[in-house]
Amino acid sequence: MIRIQQDDFNVGTQVEDAKSRGTGAIVTFLGIVRDDGIECMELEVYHEVAEHELTVIRDEAMEKFSLHNVDIIHRTGPLHVGDNIVLIIVSAGHRKEAFLGCEYVIDRLKQTVPIWKKEVLKDGERWVEGEHGSGPVT
Amino acid sequence: MKVRVKAFARFREIIGSENIIDLEDGSSVLGALKSLSADSNEFGEACFDKNGNVASHVVLMINGKRIGRDRETITLLEGDELAIFPPVAGG
Repeated sequence: MIRIQQDDFNVGTQVEDAKSRGTGAIVTFLGIVRDDGIECMELEVYHEVAEHELTVIRDEAMEKFSLHNVDIIHRTGPLHVGDNIVLIIVSAGHRKEAFLGCEYVIDRLKQTVPIWKKEVLKDGERWVEGEHGSGPVT
Repeated sequence: MKVRVKAFARFREIIGSENIIDLEDGSSVLGALKSLSADSNEFGEACFDKNGNVASHVVLMINGKRIGRDRETITLLEGDELAIFPPVAGG
């Protein structure tokens, strides 16, 4: 399941939903808004492309690490300190594949998926500098 | 011909999220960006480096696909969607 949404999500419910009979390990990554002296954070998304690229990343991870399932939920809109930003749930037969798969998904997400964060400060705003320029050219 | 330009993050703040621009048939990506910078000095400063090339950190897509090598010379077609944005920062 791939979702980009404004609404929050329930981590426990999502993890329960990811369980299946053949699954022996579930690894989750939860990204939250860090207090860097900000008032809030605004997330902007190029929706059509972001959803497609998340789907590509999920499919790559499932094939590369023989995963059972990958769920990715990324939020958009205004968020405050402590709010959930992104949830990745990776399930596999064993822990090693699940850990590797989860790390792969978040690393690739940060490289290629067109999402941006603007931090709103008491006295202004600043865009969070992305680490990656062009990403892979297709 | 008409080309849709989508801009995100800092570029959206300068030129708005979506523009339909009129270009001569056979215009390149560079032509589209020059057309936009003619209407906005701020856009030009954000888009181009001091040598007049598209700045290396600027990401460009045509119809949802990143364009890389020789990207400025790529010819646009009627109805294409050109997207411009800074490096991504999700997660």
